[in-house]
Amino acid sequence: MNIIEIENLSHRFADGTVGLNKINLSISEGAFVVIAGRNGSGKTTLLKHLNGLLLPTKGVVKLSGVPVTKNLTWSRQMVGMVFQDADSQIVGETVSDDVAFGPENLCLDRAEVKRRVVRALETVGLHHHKDQKPHLLSGGEKRRLAIAGILAMEPKVIVFDEPFSSLDYPGVKQVLAQMVFLHQAGHTILVASHDLEKLIAHTDRLVIMQDGGIVRDGLPSQLLGNLEAFGIREPCASRLGMEVHSWLN
Amino acid sequence: MAELNVLGFHAGNSVPHQLDVRFKLMFLVIISLSSLKAFAPSLSLLTLVLIVALNHAGLPFKMALKDLRYGFLLLVFVFMARSLSVPGSPVVEFKAVSVTREGLYEGSMVCWRLLIVIMTGLLFVLTTRSSEIKAAVEWMLKPFPWIPAKRIGIMMSLIVRFIPIIFEQAKKTKEAQKARGVENRKNPVYRLKMFGIPLMRRIFERADKLVLAMEARCYSENRTDSLLSSSVKDWIVLAGVMCLCLIIIT
Repeated sequence: MNIIEIENLSHRFADGTVGLNKINLSISEGAFVVIAGRNGSGKTTLLKHLNGLLLPTKGVVKLSGVPVTKNLTWSRQMVGMVFQDADSQIVGETVSDDVAFGPENLCLDRAEVKRRVVRALETVGLHHHKDQKPHLLSGGEKRRLAIAGILAMEPKVIVFDEPFSSLDYPGVKQVLAQMVFLHQAGHTILVASHDLEKLIAHTDRLVIMQDGGIVRDGLPSQLLGNLEAFGIREPCASRLGMEVHSWLN
Repeated sequence: MAELNVLGFHAGNSVPHQLDVRFKLMFLVIISLSSLKAFAPSLSLLTLVLIVALNHAGLPFKMALKDLRYGFLLLVFVFMARSLSVPGSPVVEFKAVSVTREGLYEGSMVCWRLLIVIMTGLLFVLTTRSSEIKAAVEWMLKPFPWIPAKRIGIMMSLIVRFIPIIFEQAKKTKEAQKARGVENRKNPVYRLKMFGIPLMRRIFERADKLVLAMEARCYSENRTDSLLSSSVKDWIVLAGVMCLCLIIIT
């Protein structure tokens, strides 16, 4: 069953720039999809349409068959988005306040908010930091906090926009492990990235974007040899003709 | 790792942390007003009480002094203005300008009172979540149905939330400019322009990102509010604050 269906989606910005051009894409429930492309190819613009942060100029985005525009609150609960800049996503004064922000916006009762906060923080392994100021966390921890903030809203789809930007090696491993865990727990994962090295071993579908359109869509193993024509670096192991291994091994 | 900014909530279990935010707002008003009527002995008592309370609430004093240095600069200006403008017996004279004994006394009293207000505000901000401030403002505006209480509450909590971000952005802008030798330019207008414009742009960009992140997490005016509940502790502290203020003004 397709959890996301995008039909003929186009987006034009206020200054006339074309952000997306006639995108058609279906994503099945439980998939782990990587959307790759060079800067400005339209990856983030596409992701922002999935929870109605941007609305289509033309076309439609459906979540479980329901257009996103029909109920924006429901769409945003259904599709959780982890932004590229984790700092800008932090709104709470303590770690637990920040995680509680989403459930509070859903007008859940206080006991339910508390239950969700505890569960989300335990899932990402930040429960021991619950009273800490979010700005004092490390890069990887901030990214995990952003994930916890999303998890507390109990979404079905989790969207990551450049999840490894400005992270060190331990930070990358922490976030990647979290993504793999969430995928195994049944979430549909969508990742926008131009760096496939860290992700490719875990993804089961690769979508390549260029100039606001989808130019390739298929199994990673089929597309690895053609990446550099679209401004995406081919993973090192693949260049050397070797099998690509997970960064978690 | 980001540097800690004192102008924001610090989690803790101190008595001020446990108090109802409505009572804390009341204390803020009562203590600030009482300090206007206070003189050296009672101001000393009040300062001592506030230092103990701030220490108990876990304020990192060294960092607080660093973060509030521009506020102290303002106090210096106030002191100088008072010293020069109040008539009385001159201590120092230079042409038509004279610093008077009465001016020095008045200036130090005004600065001391302002310092009390700053310390009380710091204690409030240090021990109160912005969501609690929002809930308290909404509660206080409830009797006035024509005032958009929820919107005002949100605005106030966002202002409190944004103060540390503005400081952080100012620090980053300053560092970036220092790295490019801005200190070699002596013209203060040029430096202010080169500092102010990028700072404002960064703040607005950050605000835009924050809005987007809040929208992505279903932000609206109607949300689960913080629970406001007073306890015996609040009333005991209120009695204590009232007694202190009575001692101060009598």
